[in-house]
Amino acid sequence: MQKHVAPTRSNLLRLNDELKFASLGRDLLDQKRSILVVELLTLVDQAVDYQGRVDKALGKAEQSLQKSIMEMGRLKVANLFGAIDIRSSIRLSERKVMGVRLPQVETTYSGDGPFFSPEGITLSVEQSLVDYREALELMGRLSQLKVSIMRLAREVKKTIRKVNALEKIVIPDLRETVAFTRARIEESERENFILMKMVKDRMEKSSDQNQTRKE
Amino acid sequence: MKYYVIGDEDTVLGFSLVGTQGSVATTTEQVQNALSKALENKEYGIIIITEDLANMIRPIVDRYLFTETFPLIVEIPNRFTRGKSKDLRALVNEAIGVSL
Repeated sequence: MQKHVAPTRSNLLRLNDELKFASLGRDLLDQKRSILVVELLTLVDQAVDYQGRVDKALGKAEQSLQKSIMEMGRLKVANLFGAIDIRSSIRLSERKVMGVRLPQVETTYSGDGPFFSPEGITLSVEQSLVDYREALELMGRLSQLKVSIMRLAREVKKTIRKVNALEKIVIPDLRETVAFTRARIEESERENFILMKMVKDRMEKSSDQNQTRKE
Repeated sequence: MKYYVIGDEDTVLGFSLVGTQGSVATTTEQVQNALSKALENKEYGIIIITEDLANMIRPIVDRYLFTETFPLIVEIPNRFTRGKSKDLRALVNEAIGVSL
């Protein structure tokens, strides 16, 4: 309860307004929270799916890379890879969900084949090229989902904390203060009323006495 | 914008195949240097980092993950921890303390 608030009518009005405002805020934040949670759940489902795909793609890519290293030697592979002219680029954009900024990623490749002379090269090099390309593309999507999830989760946490603070502390506190203020105002009204009655009573008595004396 | 890879030798080699630049790192110091170099260059939109290296500089990675808009940082399991990549749901539970 807010003890420093004087129990006056103007304060009661102000407190009532505050209470209304706090309830409105809580309702809005509650809505925000459920929207964020729904968004979060869809993203998590998608991300779990993508995680599996990325893991598989990366595993495959690494295997074929290992194979080409084994077949051709690390130095030769490294030299060859340095010469391959593929450029990957990302288009990043943003999407907003309830004020949370979520990234969106799109991966594009430039450069046309053939990237190297087929002489002295094993098939696994081609294979690893294809595999890594696929893995990188999936990874772009995964990174978008992961970062979105992290940011959303943080916002959900913050919102839950705000809702709880309003619901468990601010609103009960205001209710109590309003009740106390109202009770005090009513009490002082009753006191005033009795005081007035007593004054009236006395005035009547004294006028009665005056009249009897005159008679 | 481009990708940038920080990881062990094979990971970096593999990604260089598809036109991604990167640097090899094994110690905490090297990872820090590589990351700050990558962050300085605004060309890099997504930084791919292997999980074990990310764990070495967890606070920095987390800061970028949660607050900065770009670049995005994504962790991948490396060859030796394959199959043990952290479950996303567990990650979310950790982050918000609410089970989904």
